[in-house]
Amino acid sequence: MDISDLISPSAVMANLKAGSKKQALQDLARRAATLAGINGKAEEREVFEVLLERERLGTTGVGAGIAIPHGKLARLDGLYGLFAKLDQPIDFEAVDEQPVDLVFVLLAPESAGADHLKALARVSRLLRDRSVCERLRGCDQADAIYAILTESAAPRAA
Amino acid sequence: MSILTTITGVILLGAALMLVGVLSSALARRLGVPLLLVFLAIGMAAGEDGPGGLIFSDFQATYAVGSVALALILFDGGLRTPITAFRGTLAPAGTLATVGVLMTAAITGLVAWLTLPLGPVEALLIGAVVASTDAAAVFFLLRTRGVKLPRRVGAVLEIEAGVNDPAAVVLTLVLIAIIQAGRQSPLDLALDIALQVVVGGGAGVAAGWLLARTLNRLDLAQGLHPLLVAASAVATYAAATLAGGSGFLAVYLAGLIVGNRPIRARSQIVEFHDALTWLAQIAMFVLLGLLVTPHKLLDQGIGAVAVALALMLVARPVAVFLCLWPFGFTWRERAFVSWVGLRGAVGIFLASIPVLASMPGGQIYFNVAFAVVLVSLLIQGWTIAPAARALGLALPLDPAPRARVELDLPGQLDLEMVGYRVDPGSPALTRTLPPWTRLVLVVRGDAVLEAGEAGGLRPGDHAYFLAPPWRAPDLDRLLAPNPGAAPEVVGEFILPGHATLGVLGEMYGIATPVDETDRTLSDLFAQRLRHAPEVGDRLMLGDAMLIVRAVEAGAATRVAMRLTPDPEDRPELADKVERAAARLKAALRRKRR
Repeated sequence: MDISDLISPSAVMANLKAGSKKQALQDLARRAATLAGINGKAEEREVFEVLLERERLGTTGVGAGIAIPHGKLARLDGLYGLFAKLDQPIDFEAVDEQPVDLVFVLLAPESAGADHLKALARVSRLLRDRSVCERLRGCDQADAIYAILTESAAPRAA
Repeated sequence: MSILTTITGVILLGAALMLVGVLSSALARRLGVPLLLVFLAIGMAAGEDGPGGLIFSDFQATYAVGSVALALILFDGGLRTPITAFRGTLAPAGTLATVGVLMTAAITGLVAWLTLPLGPVEALLIGAVVASTDAAAVFFLLRTRGVKLPRRVGAVLEIEAGVNDPAAVVLTLVLIAIIQAGRQSPLDLALDIALQVVVGGGAGVAAGWLLARTLNRLDLAQGLHPLLVAASAVATYAAATLAGGSGFLAVYLAGLIVGNRPIRARSQIVEFHDALTWLAQIAMFVLLGLLVTPHKLLDQGIGAVAVALALMLVARPVAVFLCLWPFGFTWRERAFVSWVGLRGAVGIFLASIPVLASMPGGQIYFNVAFAVVLVSLLIQGWTIAPAARALGLALPLDPAPRARVELDLPGQLDLEMVGYRVDPGSPALTRTLPPWTRLVLVVRGDAVLEAGEAGGLRPGDHAYFLAPPWRAPDLDRLLAPNPGAAPEVVGEFILPGHATLGVLGEMYGIATPVDETDRTLSDLFAQRLRHAPEVGDRLMLGDAMLIVRAVEAGAATRVAMRLTPDPEDRPELADKVERAAARLKAALRRKRR
């Protein structure tokens, strides 16, 4: 599974302004709903609730300034990824208490099965690479960020 | 002959004071007295009003020693601050260091004007002199008082202390200029401040970058690297100051840059600066204690105490609560930040400038500042840990960091040798090592063994690993007797022990037998492990690895879900480690023959 299968160039935000975890999730839920073609206030709310429910179970702030909020939604027609580099790091109740500035949202359809887990694994492996994160943090253009996210999806020469 | 005897006498005296300072630290630690206060007291005891009876009033010498000491302390502060500490804290700390300093100076100045025989500008100068929190005192007391603070609170305090000295210095110098020369136009004032920041900042960044580069390029004899760094730090301070910039800002930034780049001999440099910072602290505080004439403090006694109390109880809290307003700190955090507004040597040091400049009433500034610092260290310094606990901010302490030996490999910045004593119960005894490290040497009893000959680690061994320097903390974790206390690895999702397999199945598509959907993760561990779960225990569930992260009353309460196995992350690094290990082993074999 490649990152480019999960995310499209229009799903990347370079400098998202969010004052809190809740606000960030709300903004991202709105963008995600639009992206998945399920416009409407109720739908945005639903996406937000799904993400929030997962956070209630345990934070998706996985450390080192990275969060990977995710959840399942019945009405989706496929996996949807969304990436945002936050303008200012925010408190995300992350496992290491560090503020978060890189957020990758992953939404999966009810039928995703094991694909959801694979996609999550792919995303967390990508963002575990310090050099990738460093380059993402130094980048202010959405298209350049998209390039960084997807280029490393190519298998590395071992 | 007699002049030589006198000089030798002075040397003996200086060394004796230093010795008393060092030895008293052991006692102070036991009693919980702030060490800086002890150093100050030693100076005062040796001075004219104490049993020592020494008459010392050389403000010039004190200023010189104080400048160098402060430069070294600030450099060390920068050296130890990981750049990640700035994330999310630069804005609040920066506001405190600028707006906060002005507000503190203004409010304190007002009180000084009301309680001391001074004009408004002179009173404001008192406010300015004591307006900055002291980097030396804050770094030092936070690190030695055995309190662990929430990251953001600790970082804000340290960064504020690191960058607010320049603000107070500029304010003080400007006010002195106004008092001496009459009026100064606001434009000149603004220009002067801008110059201080721009020149100081530029010089600091340039010096830091150059120093890191020089360290890595220049071939020096063992043991000279730390000296190169120390001399450069002092030179940076002096050059930036001469060029009209803020030397303190410059030296802090230089330290920050050097500390955050891969450099040769890092552990030596850090260790050396640790010792140097101690030396600087002792020298500066003992000297300031010597310089003051305690009975003269009483002249301004009531006014000085009023200023000190106003600073602690009104000016600092007001400034902190207003400055941190926009940044989402809780009231407890703001209260704690207010309380840790420690004053220190910088205040006394700045207050010696009016004396040096022979301003009328120069002694008043010095005495008031001294009293303020004394009161601050006495009351605030002594109560940091209780205050943190009372406000519910003290976090459980990390287990003591593993005593590791780090050895530089000449000509190699990406890898170093890291040595440990292997304790019973450390995960390295049972786990396969991650791909970024190799076991190279084992010292067992008197025998020096290659990794292959040793046939695995045993408790009591001294083991030497090859690893990238930035991985050393991860290696600590592998060698720590209790792996569970270690923080989670990036890439793990945390779940509560009461999460059910049903929820996991639903959310992640992990196959679960129908009759087990109600089973919780705690149950799963209890059943599969055949022993009471311990932190660090792991099992596979479908494609996910579950790792116990916290245990309460014999049940797993916090479980990490890891989605990918660790290796294959950095194949090129693994290769490099492999090759370097082979070379080392070959060299070792040649040597033994």
